Amino acid sequence: MLLAACTFAGCGSSETVLEWDRAQEMWNQRDDLAYQAWMELDEDSDEGKEARRRIAAADPHYKAGIDLIKDGDFESAIDKLWEGAEIAPIDPAYYVDIARVYSQRGFTNIAADYYMKAISSLPESDAAKVAREEYEALGIGSNPGLRSVFSPKSEISRYNSSEGGLGDSLGLFLAFAAGLLVAAGAFLAGWMRRSPGVSLSRLIDEAPEFHSAIAYLIGSVRHELLKHRMGAISDVIKTLRTGEGSASQLKFLRDRLYGGVPIWEAWSAQKNAFARALGSRLNLSKDAAFKTADQAFDRIADLQEEIAGGGPEVAARLVSAHERLREFDRHLAEQQTRLVRTRVDRELLEHVVEEVGGEYAVSSVRLDELAVVPVEAEIHIEVPREDLVLILKNLLRNAIMVVARDEGMRRVMFSVSLGLEPTGQEVVNIGLKDSGEAVLDVRDLSGSGKGTGLKLVSTAVRRYGGVMDVVGLKEPYRKEVIVRFFRVFEE
Amino acid sequence: MKTILVIEDGDEYEKFARLFLEDHAVIHAAHSMEEAHLLMKELKVDAFLIDLRFDRARDSQLVGGVEETATRVFSGDIGLAVKYLKDNQGTLILKEIREAGHHQRAVFVHEFAPRVLDNLRRLYGEVVAISSFDAEAIRLALEL
Repeated sequence: MLLAACTFAGCGSSETVLEWDRAQEMWNQRDDLAYQAWMELDEDSDEGKEARRRIAAADPHYKAGIDLIKDGDFESAIDKLWEGAEIAPIDPAYYVDIARVYSQRGFTNIAADYYMKAISSLPESDAAKVAREEYEALGIGSNPGLRSVFSPKSEISRYNSSEGGLGDSLGLFLAFAAGLLVAAGAFLAGWMRRSPGVSLSRLIDEAPEFHSAIAYLIGSVRHELLKHRMGAISDVIKTLRTGEGSASQLKFLRDRLYGGVPIWEAWSAQKNAFARALGSRLNLSKDAAFKTADQAFDRIADLQEEIAGGGPEVAARLVSAHERLREFDRHLAEQQTRLVRTRVDRELLEHVVEEVGGEYAVSSVRLDELAVVPVEAEIHIEVPREDLVLILKNLLRNAIMVVARDEGMRRVMFSVSLGLEPTGQEVVNIGLKDSGEAVLDVRDLSGSGKGTGLKLVSTAVRRYGGVMDVVGLKEPYRKEVIVRFFRVFEE
Repeated sequence: MKTILVIEDGDEYEKFARLFLEDHAVIHAAHSMEEAHLLMKELKVDAFLIDLRFDRARDSQLVGGVEETATRVFSGDIGLAVKYLKDNQGTLILKEIREAGHHQRAVFVHEFAPRVLDNLRRLYGEVVAISSFDAEAIRLALEL
């Protein structure tokens, strides 16, 4: 019997509620199969109705976004598409439309990417069939393409991959798929679902927007599992191997490996956390280091009985697994050093000012002051530079357009400050002060207040582990919009 | 013999300390700031061994001020603040320890970025970080 459960949409079966939760999470993770998951919800259930209502509500935003791409107004298109993405997944059929527009504009790599998304989102649909055909007609060059903010977890610069470009892999895929379609259509669907995803190492290369999450996940594995559990038995193994170990040391070792949540189950939970956070773009079975760690944890699991019944000498059997996991820890430490970092300095801020100043609407605004006040310290944050520039351009543009409405002095100030937290960490505040009279509340950044366009910027900031804030100020400025990130340091 | 106060949300540090340090020191353990305050009143503690992450602590047990942290750092987001406080709880416990007038050496088993460790030393005086559970290194850090 299913239990009743209630959500904002009303009361439904707990199974449907769970499916709805999963479907929403899939979209949060930009899983290619999210739309399908939403549409597969029972249409008579409250959750199914809500999913369809939201998909319908998102539709005009997506359509408007695609029209703007056609007009060549990519920046406005991104805003529109983001508005849709905030509401519900995109109908994968639109990926074909987007691909065509990019193809017509000469961005064949981006077009290919969207064709691929159409194929992997609804592999057996008519749209996927069309996508396959049109993809074949494309000539894939080496154009690195544009980065689109829409669908950021799937529209990554695969073009830079060191493991083969999209063109190669998709070409092979199409050849393979064509054969399979004839011979085994059912197998094709399964293959296509399993095939997506890359190793963690490659994902770090390709998806800077995941770096904040990856930093946290790697930190957790290293701290909780590799240091606190495996690391803590290093001395015990060393002692037991010399034959000088005691029964209490062996008990400690058993507790650390097999007590409470056995270590391989903790490992499995950690891998699930990676999968939840990084979605279908990650495929840990393609990651050699994770596979080696799997084998080491399997070995530890296999030895449970022997170690439970044996004397101190059996600890020697753990040595190779322990060594492999130490190596895995070193590998993860190395991955941490590859996470993207951007220096926040005067040059960056001036670049933003220059770019925004060159825009038509902004250039017509007369400003009495536009000051740039960076700190002199060498500051890095974990945000790709081009995305940080986009975020700051939006903030600056917004501030200028706000002061433009006023008759009095029009002042805007860009500044960077550091704050020391009691944890020893430092926060980087990139602030934009303006003298505009328009009142702005922190709720306006989350979508619960009046619409300002900043909600979209706030969403982008959060993707990189940052937050946006608003502080009221006294004259000559009225308020400051702040984007805040934790400072990262070269280790 | 020296007295070490272990502060953690579970019992892993305590078990490790009893196994590897008990020949050199008397080990006491606290599992919350409240317990630590009580033990600090009773004992003459020579050094602290403090866990950094308190994932298992209840939100109500966290020190560092959830709402205040949410407002100051996370634009009012309580969920982010709780996660942050749990991930860094050991340093905030150290802050309370210092504010209570206890300035003995504090040891963490964690790989802090050098700058963060410098900050902790500026804020809280004698702080030592050991990157792994190496019994000999921890003994030396605790001056046993």
